[in-house]
Amino acid sequence: MKDNLKIISVLTIITVICGFILAFVFTSAQGKIQENQKQAIYRAITTIVPEAENIQEKTYGEDLVYELKDKNGEFLGYAYVTDGQGYQSTISILFAVDKDIRDILGIDIIESVETPGLGSRITEDAFKDQFKNVPLAGIFEVVKELPQNPHQIQAITSATVSSRAVVSIVNAGIEKLKAILKK
Amino acid sequence: MNSTQLIIKGVWTDHPIFRQLLGMCPTLAVTTSSINGISMGLAVLFVLFFSSFVVSLIKKIVPSQVRIAVYTVIIATFVTIVDIFLKAYFPDISRALGPYIPLIIVNCIILGRCEVFASRHSLGVSLIDALAMGSGFTWGLFVLGSIRELFGAGTILGFKIMPAFYNPLIIMILPAGAFLVLGTLVGVMNKIEQKR
Amino acid sequence: MKDLLLIVVSTVLINNFVLSYFLGICPFLGVSGKLSSAIGMGLSVIFVMTLSSSISWLIYHLILIPLEITFLSYVVFILVIASLVQIVEMFIRKYSPPLYQALGIYLPLITTNCAILGCALFMIARNYAFLPAVVFGFSAGVGFTLILLVMAGIREELQFNDVPGVLKGAPITLITAGLLALCFMGFSGLISS
Repeated sequence: MKDNLKIISVLTIITVICGFILAFVFTSAQGKIQENQKQAIYRAITTIVPEAENIQEKTYGEDLVYELKDKNGEFLGYAYVTDGQGYQSTISILFAVDKDIRDILGIDIIESVETPGLGSRITEDAFKDQFKNVPLAGIFEVVKELPQNPHQIQAITSATVSSRAVVSIVNAGIEKLKAILKK
Repeated sequence: MNSTQLIIKGVWTDHPIFRQLLGMCPTLAVTTSSINGISMGLAVLFVLFFSSFVVSLIKKIVPSQVRIAVYTVIIATFVTIVDIFLKAYFPDISRALGPYIPLIIVNCIILGRCEVFASRHSLGVSLIDALAMGSGFTWGLFVLGSIRELFGAGTILGFKIMPAFYNPLIIMILPAGAFLVLGTLVGVMNKIEQKR
Repeated sequence: MKDLLLIVVSTVLINNFVLSYFLGICPFLGVSGKLSSAIGMGLSVIFVMTLSSSISWLIYHLILIPLEITFLSYVVFILVIASLVQIVEMFIRKYSPPLYQALGIYLPLITTNCAILGCALFMIARNYAFLPAVVFGFSAGVGFTLILLVMAGIREELQFNDVPGVLKGAPITLITAGLLALCFMGFSGLISS
């Protein structure tokens, strides 16, 4: 009985101490982590739309939309972060559209854990640039051969699943943004 | 046992990867490039060092029935600290290593050293052992990562090494390549050991 | 239903824990030498994994998120796994002494089996709902057992083959696993959309 008491108390005390240490470390680093995530998003926006100098966050219910303006205050468009299931884990994608959601300006991969050397190539410019300045007349689709029109996205060799995932996440994201902004 | 012997054991004769085959999960998973290999190695070194430190300090007050649970909690705490630290200061590395950082908790090297060594030796010796094993692990990961990056992408630490006409063998970066390279390396190490 | 089936196929065959995430390699190298111990090990992993992923899910979503203490998740998960392993160990010791004898030394090792913690972490990272999480845990265990059995079969045959001296034991096992991983890559065509 005395042994049991000792076992339980030692385990509890150590777990509680560890909990407090972690709480302390976490709260002191939390600001920095959020700052990093914000930085990553802002960096992605300025690579897609280099003219965007003034980025404002607007919340619509639970959704966060970034409004982009150039240095003269001219309204350029919106950026939005959306995610979905990839081949191995969640892929988080940022895309930017013009102010009437007529054209997609480009996309960037914020977070992904795809197979190194294959699926991970969705983060390469050659793939992402296929989404650059395309009119949003229809939805994007994946093809394995050379694309015939701007809405066809050529899949990465032997990473069709990851390529398809990106395309369907972007398609769904655009619909969602339209619904949020009611356009 | 003096400290020189301990160091030789950790970085060569009892090498955690090539001789004891411990910590296989990060060894194979994150060594797709040399930089990932080093980062993972250093993260493990950090956790191993501080866990051995704490375990060696509290070895007298922990009842033997729950020692594994206590060690695991301590290890998990340091791993969470590393995870938070990387997220805050090295977000790129944190993204590259992804879910394999929390898996350091179940890296058998750390629990193994705490259980076999730190809980039975004095503080100073335990720390030397932790440093030796950790460095052994780190150079092992670096070599493995470099070989895979060299053949799989033609680079080492991001610098182009292979001539332009070299067509990267993507298989080396894929999981299958990890097994093949490690298997061959362990064989090579056995060969070197036999010669001695 | 289709989603659940997709999880099963992709976790057992395509993204197999052992061959594509390298989770659970230590027991894989340790017990895959004999078919009988591979079966026992596999079954206990399936059991512990299914339970631990369900319990971890409940704790994560019902306690850690509401209290905003998700940074404690690693510590909590590993405690859940450690206690479950303890329970399984007591259970087997009581009801199947022969199995306990065969697995005795490997059971405590399940705690440090990265596959089980990995399973809990992946299910959180992928934002699964409860039922998919349970199915995921179960199929990850099945995938692990499948590879363990295949490997045990190959290794029993391998004993009678002429393997170069330096490659005997672990090296040839790793190389075999590499070839196996190559074969399993063929399954990735199973899911097309």
